[in-house]
Amino acid sequence: MSERVAIIGVGWAGYRPVSPEVSYKEWMYEAAVKAYADAGVDPRRDVDSFVTVAEDFIEGTSIFDEYVPDQLGAALKPVHTIGGDGLHGLATGYMLIRTGLANLVVVEGHSKASNVLTLPEITAYAQDPVLNRPLGLNTEFVAGLEMNRYLFETGTSLEQCAAVVVKNRRNALRNPLAPYGADLTLDEALEGPPLAWPLYHRHKSKHADGAIVMVLASGERAEVLSHQPIWILGMGWCNCAPSLESRDWNELRYIRKAANMAYQQAGIVQPNLVIDFAEIDDTYAYKELQHLEALGFCRVGEAGYLTEEGATEPEGELPVNVSGGSLGMGNLLDASGLARALEVVLQLRGEAGSRQLEEVEVGLAQSWRGVPTTSGAVAVMSH
Amino acid sequence: MSLLERNPQAPNAWLGDLPVTSRYTAGIAGEKFFRAMKDEGKILGTFCENCDITYIPGRIFCERCMAELDHWQDVGTIGEIYTFTLLFENLDGTQREEPLAVAFIRMGDGGLIHQLGEVDLEDISIGMPVEAVFKPKSKRQGSILDIQYFRPLTE
Repeated sequence: MSERVAIIGVGWAGYRPVSPEVSYKEWMYEAAVKAYADAGVDPRRDVDSFVTVAEDFIEGTSIFDEYVPDQLGAALKPVHTIGGDGLHGLATGYMLIRTGLANLVVVEGHSKASNVLTLPEITAYAQDPVLNRPLGLNTEFVAGLEMNRYLFETGTSLEQCAAVVVKNRRNALRNPLAPYGADLTLDEALEGPPLAWPLYHRHKSKHADGAIVMVLASGERAEVLSHQPIWILGMGWCNCAPSLESRDWNELRYIRKAANMAYQQAGIVQPNLVIDFAEIDDTYAYKELQHLEALGFCRVGEAGYLTEEGATEPEGELPVNVSGGSLGMGNLLDASGLARALEVVLQLRGEAGSRQLEEVEVGLAQSWRGVPTTSGAVAVMSH
Repeated sequence: MSLLERNPQAPNAWLGDLPVTSRYTAGIAGEKFFRAMKDEGKILGTFCENCDITYIPGRIFCERCMAELDHWQDVGTIGEIYTFTLLFENLDGTQREEPLAVAFIRMGDGGLIHQLGEVDLEDISIGMPVEAVFKPKSKRQGSILDIQYFRPLTE
């Protein structure tokens, strides 16, 4: 049994709005070999177990988990695919090591969103089939409902949501992996057609293709194999009631609980004092604000003001989504949480290039599985 | 047609599709709930005595304490707009000609998701009382669509 778990290798491929020349397998392979080289491990010899995250309807293949072993070097090895976000995958790998079942675990997530030709229909198939689906609504209505209540409840303004778009897409300009970098004004971020008012098209992240692989090791193996292990201090995950009729529309208690689970393991009482930067879900601009509050970085209703004042800019008190977030890097479907975690790893290693933050010791990654889910996960890491 | 589809030099890809048709059982609670809607134009909830909570739509279990619920109540047809949105896209992502007003109408400790009707979009507000407008009895089929929409409550 290992008390400590570290990320000792990371690899990625992408991210791009389209990738017609490369298959998902080839992208997984590219990300995997980079991660193995980075960790200095041979997957055929050294890795004990593999975990991937994928959803059959999104992949367009039934029993998709059957299709993951070969390109990861996982044939004839323990491997399983979970339905969840990349951070749920990371949590699964973390548990495999904590329980002593494995010493070296590989976690993978990918997106080939550009190949999903009927994504709105697939997302609509996630609605309650009896109570909601007969209404025939585009699933963005769930985000519209939640955002409107959030603005009403907290007094947060559309301009404050737009400030998230401006910040994240500007941050993406300094991230060579991010395809959606842009230098927008607040007015430009508010322009364009509404999607599910008060939600506008520009406040929703566009999709991207890519793959991310991480190598996790027990404390003992990490000390031997790596000169810069990134330690997982805590991991938490939680779901609220999925039903639109009985869920809590006001407050993201599932994110709060996921965060508290991770904070408790990490021994963190006041996240503000300990956590230097955060990569959090911004599938929609308002979600970054809601998530900041639920993670305990500020009180409910304050995130919009803090964003406007620049507190979450790269040079602010708590840099949020220096990578550009999903708004800047693209929404990688269930790999999005791994993209957030990857940025935390790169920053903590001091390998984030021109967007490198100074003197960062503890970082947080958080994910949400998108509409219509209430499924979130949190990871706290340190070097 | 996308740029890739028009380009004869574009990398090769294969298109595949799958007809997906599923049957969803309404269940013990769903049977009762939708039958009351169809036959009597009523909305039913269930009450949890342990938690002092009324679930709407009615269900046979309490998600908070896991008690079995069989205390059914007629909860009326009036609720309050808890939140709403104006939807500009159809289910498949194409643009709607007119935005559609969709709301979560709070009733008891639950409520219903439905569209709003007989109201100017600018007049919709959070907290507004609304009532369910049912289809004529002969046209009801025992589904959530037996309610046509919710409209502002007029005295």
